[in-house]
Amino acid sequence: MTSNLDSREPSATDRATKRAYKREFVPGIVAYILILSAALIWGDLDGNSPARFVWAIVPVLPMVWVAIAVLRHIRRVDEYQRFLLLQGLGVGFALAMVASLTVGLLDVAGLSIPGSAWIVYAVGMLGWLVTAQVSARR
Amino acid sequence: MNNNLKTLREERGWTQGALADQLGVSRQTVNALETGRYDPALPLAFRIAHLFGRPIEAIFIPAPEDVRGQ
Repeated sequence: MTSNLDSREPSATDRATKRAYKREFVPGIVAYILILSAALIWGDLDGNSPARFVWAIVPVLPMVWVAIAVLRHIRRVDEYQRFLLLQGLGVGFALAMVASLTVGLLDVAGLSIPGSAWIVYAVGMLGWLVTAQVSARR
Repeated sequence: MNNNLKTLREERGWTQGALADQLGVSRQTVNALETGRYDPALPLAFRIAHLFGRPIEAIFIPAPEDVRGQ
């Protein structure tokens, strides 16, 4: 039998933590999307201008902001939430390392995969996101 | 480790969210504690004990494998 005591409503602490995270995370992601769009439109990334290297690097700056927001979130949450977050990050890191090693060894063997850095990035992010979603459902 | 956190909470008519707020943790953490998926570190265990006015060992009961080797 369920009662209102079995409510799965988030606590006020949950809501405050989520608000603080969004307040720090969202500006970084919005800035990243805007700067990345600007770099793709005006950066002439596949051209010859020396400025293209600056344009290529600039989108990394807001991602540093995002990384700091994630680190601050990890420090803000309680011990169990921190365990879940670090588990997700750990899985993402391990998968990214395996992917990196795989494409690196294939490269040594003469099979160069175009855009391999993006594969490593995608595998790491996907590992983190999937683990976080699975943990959140438990 | 087993615990009677859920019984103590329900005796007081608190939701998991209400208990979570009093402990300064998330509702998901309270749920993980109640279902035995997570054992708290000592500072949180002491906060729980203080909140319910009982010693830690009256709330958390070690499983046989937790005390093996004694």
